[in-house]
Amino acid sequence: MLRTWFGRRPSAPSTPRPAKDRSKLRVGIPRVLNVWSTHRFWTAFLEALGVRPENIVYSSDTSEDQGREFGKGRGAVDCCYPVKCMSGHYGELVFGQRRKLDVILSPIIYTLPSFLHGHVQGSFSCTRVAAGPENIKSGFLKEADVFSGNGIRYASPFVSFAERALMPRQMVKGLGDVLDLDLEEATKAVDAGFDALDEFNARMRSKSREILESCAREDRPCLLVLARPYHMDPGIGHEIEVNVQASGFPILWMQYFPLDSDLLEWVFHDDLKSGVIRNCFDISDVWPSSYSANTNEILWGAKVAARLPWITCVLRLSSYECGMDQPTYTPVQKIVEGGDTLLFKFGDLDSTKPSGSVRIRVETIVHYVRKSSSDIIARKRARLPADCPLLPRR
Amino acid sequence: MATVSPPRHYRAYRPRPFTAAERKDVTILFGGLTWKHERLVQAALENQGYKALPLPNIERVDLDVGKELTDVGACCPTTFTTGSLARFLRDKAKEIGPEAVNRNYVYMTAGSCGPCRFGQYHESYTMALDGIGLKEFRLFLLDQTELDQGAAAGGGLEMNMAFSLGLVWGILCGDLITDLEYRTRPYEVVPGATDAAVKEAVERMYQAFRSRPNRGRKWGALAWTLFSRYYTNALKDVRRIFEKVEVDRLRVKPRVKITGEFWLQTHEGDGNYDIKRWLEREGAEVVPPPIAVWLDYLIGLALAELEEKAETDPKARKKVRIVKLLQKAYTWSYNRLRGALSGIPAELPDQKVLQELAQPYYHFRLNGGEGYMLVGKALYAHRNKHAHMICELSPYSCMPNTMSVGAMANVMGQHPDLLYSPIEIKGDAEVHALSRCQMVLTEAKKRAQREFDEAAARTGLTLEKARELESKRPGLRSAMAPFPHHGAAGTAANHLIELARRSR
Repeated sequence: MLRTWFGRRPSAPSTPRPAKDRSKLRVGIPRVLNVWSTHRFWTAFLEALGVRPENIVYSSDTSEDQGREFGKGRGAVDCCYPVKCMSGHYGELVFGQRRKLDVILSPIIYTLPSFLHGHVQGSFSCTRVAAGPENIKSGFLKEADVFSGNGIRYASPFVSFAERALMPRQMVKGLGDVLDLDLEEATKAVDAGFDALDEFNARMRSKSREILESCAREDRPCLLVLARPYHMDPGIGHEIEVNVQASGFPILWMQYFPLDSDLLEWVFHDDLKSGVIRNCFDISDVWPSSYSANTNEILWGAKVAARLPWITCVLRLSSYECGMDQPTYTPVQKIVEGGDTLLFKFGDLDSTKPSGSVRIRVETIVHYVRKSSSDIIARKRARLPADCPLLPRR
Repeated sequence: MATVSPPRHYRAYRPRPFTAAERKDVTILFGGLTWKHERLVQAALENQGYKALPLPNIERVDLDVGKELTDVGACCPTTFTTGSLARFLRDKAKEIGPEAVNRNYVYMTAGSCGPCRFGQYHESYTMALDGIGLKEFRLFLLDQTELDQGAAAGGGLEMNMAFSLGLVWGILCGDLITDLEYRTRPYEVVPGATDAAVKEAVERMYQAFRSRPNRGRKWGALAWTLFSRYYTNALKDVRRIFEKVEVDRLRVKPRVKITGEFWLQTHEGDGNYDIKRWLEREGAEVVPPPIAVWLDYLIGLALAELEEKAETDPKARKKVRIVKLLQKAYTWSYNRLRGALSGIPAELPDQKVLQELAQPYYHFRLNGGEGYMLVGKALYAHRNKHAHMICELSPYSCMPNTMSVGAMANVMGQHPDLLYSPIEIKGDAEVHALSRCQMVLTEAKKRAQREFDEAAARTGLTLEKARELESKRPGLRSAMAPFPHHGAAGTAANHLIELARRSR
């Protein structure tokens, strides 16, 4: 009797809540900044809430035309190009859609789901990248509310990818009104988002390992790109690595480097043995202020590149006025070159692709990779234990 | 087959230990604040048994030295501060030799847990040390968010509670003197009287900090700092020093609030074109930004983060209570120190209010640079009539500040009457920056005059009549005379209304 009265179970079965119908909701996401490394999360998150895949619209790759057509006059301040070009993406989602969007979702990504998290002091986004949505939205609000004027609701949830437990509540705070979202739904959708992101990252890393194994088997070089996620955007990274790849060299991106312990323990064998690092993800030997996720990963990638024999060359991409990259130029150069590895830096990348100079530099890169790779591989290989996990066991 | 050479793997700079035994011989260098704050920090360090020396004030040449020694694209505070340290060490090395510099000096600076380059300043410093051939020189980072960091790097620097409280209270007292200074100088009757008073006041506080009693390293030091009358008594001497300065508050001047990036807004000198003095020469009264607000902001940020965690983590709830208590103790202490100066220095703005004001424009959890404060302070000053104009100082290529300045475009769209002058400081483009500021200042002057005329019309007091009233109460011409805010932004208008009230 008492159990019935005070028990948690309701005395009568409750009617199940009707599922919220979001099948007609159209959500636009600017394809910018750290969305490049978290897009799988956002897609799966929205799908889990019932938004149909065809109604999840990412803006196009960055281009000068996009900025001219949709972003002109919307910039509020001069800053780095990856943030500045967001105006064009916002504008395209507002003005450039055949079927109007209901929501523009531009997340404020405060911390990132970095594979180094837990081994470093922090996994923050770049301060400009995190604040980019607040900056860019002002260009669409300062004179009149362009979003509501076009029947669009603007949502900018503040999210901490490095602390997954906080995300469901952050989603409810940031999207509760716009998507009529409750905590239970948000929790499930966040889980679905992370599952999709983890699965995608694992798949990409496995592909990278296949490439490395083929390079090891054939004793041929590959190149590693050290850059921020948004340099994968053809309008920002200008596909420089694609030009190099056209000459026959496989390209790996640091973001998707394999994290298998057998490989990393082999690569960092000496550092682990001598106690210079606590584990394979420890970067305190080269970078004491390890607060910024993308910076940390670049430094870690430089360390890997300096040690792994078949990475004979590093392509460093950096955008104009990138304040996060600026203090890393010299350390990255010293790390990579200290490991007898070639380094080519493309700095100050902006809206315009300097095709001529890129072509000349690509020719230079290809020349040196062809000329020096076999020596580099041999030198680096000789420093590592004989039993390489990338090669079939004898 | 290539020859096998041993790897030359890069390792980050690690300073040699600074041992307790070295304390008596090694001088701790520091900088980055105003000379007043630095003098009091010096005293707090000397009191703890350290030899301490602030770096010379920043000069234009430091920008060139910094550019020469660091990676291209550094922000101007990084370049200036790196240049300043490098120049001092290079000159010292010429004087006493590099080995003696490495042996006899260390540099202490604030680190950061934030995502901005502020947390990576030391990379520039180490690069500069390399560039001037002083790789063995030692520099140490202080965590600005920890009061009790224990012994670090060999035990020579013991950053315990007593040590940190000395630094923080030195900064608070430096702020209070600076507040008085900027309120007084534009109205001083005898030119130079304010500067002389500031000098005397800082020396009085220097002696107080240098000879503060030892009350333990942790809780004893905390209790004594919070509750003893030691600092308030010393500040009462400061009040007496300023009481002697005669002012004419009926001079109509626009009040210009300085906001912006921490280093630039705090700095007084070539690093920001000495803009505060320049504004005064142009006829303005400057409202300087206290470092105390920055410290309060850091507490507010920590609290916001903990409050979010507390929603899912019961352990964080206890921390929330502790931080709230710390916040209250901090504000109470600041007000207590203000009280010793007749409550004349401005009180700390409520961080929650600043957050709420800024929230439609800039998310309060974005913690790079001054975060929400840039928007929040501008709106707070505008709505509460604390200033006629906001002069916001941004370093060239400052990452967080450019974001806040962008958000200000939206603020301006919705508050077109807010006079806002964002100045980008490169360090070598003075005329351009100052002329931008001057354009807005011209409008601010008109507003100040209009406000004064309106106050005169409302109270029925003419300037002559007001002066006559003042002459009957000579105490009102003291820099420490009561200074109530009567709803006007300008000092002259408020003073006129105060005179009218007293004459009734």
